[in-house]
Amino acid sequence: MTGQSSAFQLQGVSKHYGSVAALQDISLAIEGSEYISLLGPSGSGKTTLLRVIAGFEQPDSGRVIFDGRDITQLPAHQRGIGFVFQNFALFPHLSVLDNVAFGLVNAATPPQQPQIDQRCHDIIALVGLSGLEGRSVHQISGGQKQRVALARTLVMAPKLVLLDEPLGALDANLRQRMRAELRAIRASLGVTFLHVTGSETEALAMGDRAVVLDAGRIAQFARPEEIYAAPATPNVAHFLNRFNMFDGVLKGDTFTGALGKIKVTGVKPSRRAAYGIRYDRTRVQPAGTPVSGPSLQATYVASEYLGSSVMNFFAAADGQLIEVEHHISLGAPQTYVPKTDYTLHWNPADAIVFG
Amino acid sequence: MTDTTDIPPMKPAAQSDAQSNAWWLIAPGVVWMALFLVVPILMIVYVSFWTQTTFAIEPTLTLKSWQTFFGSDTYIGSLWTTVRIWLIVLAATFVIGYPTALFVGLFIKNKTLSTVLLVICVIPFWTSFLIRVLAWRPMLGKEGAVNILLMKAHIISQPIEVLLFTELSVIIGMTQIYVVFMVGPIAFMLGRIDPAIIEAARDLGAGFARIFWKIIFPLSLPGVVVGAIFVSVMVLGEFATSAALSGRKVNLLGNIIVTQVGSLKWALASVVGVILTIIMGLVIAGFLRIVDLKREL
Repeated sequence: MTGQSSAFQLQGVSKHYGSVAALQDISLAIEGSEYISLLGPSGSGKTTLLRVIAGFEQPDSGRVIFDGRDITQLPAHQRGIGFVFQNFALFPHLSVLDNVAFGLVNAATPPQQPQIDQRCHDIIALVGLSGLEGRSVHQISGGQKQRVALARTLVMAPKLVLLDEPLGALDANLRQRMRAELRAIRASLGVTFLHVTGSETEALAMGDRAVVLDAGRIAQFARPEEIYAAPATPNVAHFLNRFNMFDGVLKGDTFTGALGKIKVTGVKPSRRAAYGIRYDRTRVQPAGTPVSGPSLQATYVASEYLGSSVMNFFAAADGQLIEVEHHISLGAPQTYVPKTDYTLHWNPADAIVFG
Repeated sequence: MTDTTDIPPMKPAAQSDAQSNAWWLIAPGVVWMALFLVVPILMIVYVSFWTQTTFAIEPTLTLKSWQTFFGSDTYIGSLWTTVRIWLIVLAATFVIGYPTALFVGLFIKNKTLSTVLLVICVIPFWTSFLIRVLAWRPMLGKEGAVNILLMKAHIISQPIEVLLFTELSVIIGMTQIYVVFMVGPIAFMLGRIDPAIIEAARDLGAGFARIFWKIIFPLSLPGVVVGAIFVSVMVLGEFATSAALSGRKVNLLGNIIVTQVGSLKWALASVVGVILTIIMGLVIAGFLRIVDLKREL
């Protein structure tokens, strides 16, 4: 059941719905077995991409290559790719065991019954559902449904498993637990998981590597820490929800915007000029305190206590919301007076600049 | 492994008060049904044992009307005719209705269009029942539309006479009138199937026939049962279609009731009424055993 790693490749895949481009010239290569997360805001085309890979949709152009052969024209079930649906899509009239066994029993050439029983038994044990085989899928919890959906796909021994927002229908506590379990299940099978999610924390926590989609294009494909440290575009930085982003104009090494004129270095080439500073790298001083380096006058609005950190919200002169994160481990959080001006400043080396 | 925590049920006094008060909500319905359904049914059972003379009926209990019914070939014959026509019409409405429902409920992805198609099915009901039945006469008659068309197309040289005033015309008429009651519930159940379930089955490698028999048909079964109950109850109680389209050659139990009531033979009419009610009860109970509607709907 442990699969050999299979190379998977997308070559220039595009897909349009009417005049709307859902996917534009997507190229992607995955070697070996990894946990890949596919991250993007809603409407970025991530579900479409997943459906094209699965074979539920045909791309307008481009090729899907898997296991050394072109599968672009191949129907979904002949691809050897498993698909786990967003809302599980369990067969409501069948028991847990019958759901898991469905693919094997109804295959064009089904295996022998003892073999079916063995494979179902093994996979049900792997996902931790032993003892629930006879239950109706109405009688199990959300987390257990998720496992049935996973087992039903994994029992077919796919070499690539596509998961469409698999944790979206679970509550926060359970989501946290299923994250670790999904990773453990994948590691024990040695197959590639491609996990679509709209949550940047989920994507970056789970993926060995993450693909960030933006408006139907791949904006970045890298390890999570690289994406955090060096987002490839202003949109990626914005979507990570970790950076205060400022628009402006870049001329030579001078960035002009709401921040005034700032000398910048290490500019990343981008179609759009933007200046970003991480929430947790921004410092706050009472207004008027002389600071060196870039700074910004802003009015304190409110705070949110997040357990391990405190998020402070400030409004800049032009109304833009600025977020400043204070990790509690660095000391007790300061308290600020609402509707009072403060000076926000940071080390220019921590800023990322696009232009 | 459970992912839910058990919370002990809390029932404040106010809530249980509200719950006991809620029973009053069904009081008008219960009174209405008792007065106009339960009491009349009991009355029919009672009257079926009354003594019938030529011009009068008196409440002296006797089995005579029951003996008359079961001793007459005509009445027993009409019992079997009723059962036969019911089964044929039921089968015909299913065979014609299921594919229609499959198209409307499952293959038409656009919800608006599928609603429009269902409304089109209901359009014949905008005219009166009698007109719908009588309209079959100029269609099926010896010089009716069907015969004319078939002859013009040189498919037949002689008009088909068996089309009208036979059991066939009754079956054709009833099937047309009642098929929509089969289509509606089935289309409703099919429309509720999550398309992702069918996609999942396909992704797991099942072919269309497998998906239909293992997924689609079982999930539509409650609709089939509801449709079958609708059609059965209406066909078993039918008298108008057979009166209008059979030329009085087909006598259903319903027709006997009409005739007996017409000649003031209340006792025998009651006997037939009781028998018909028992048959319907058995049919409905039988259908409800196929599917647990409580769970499915």
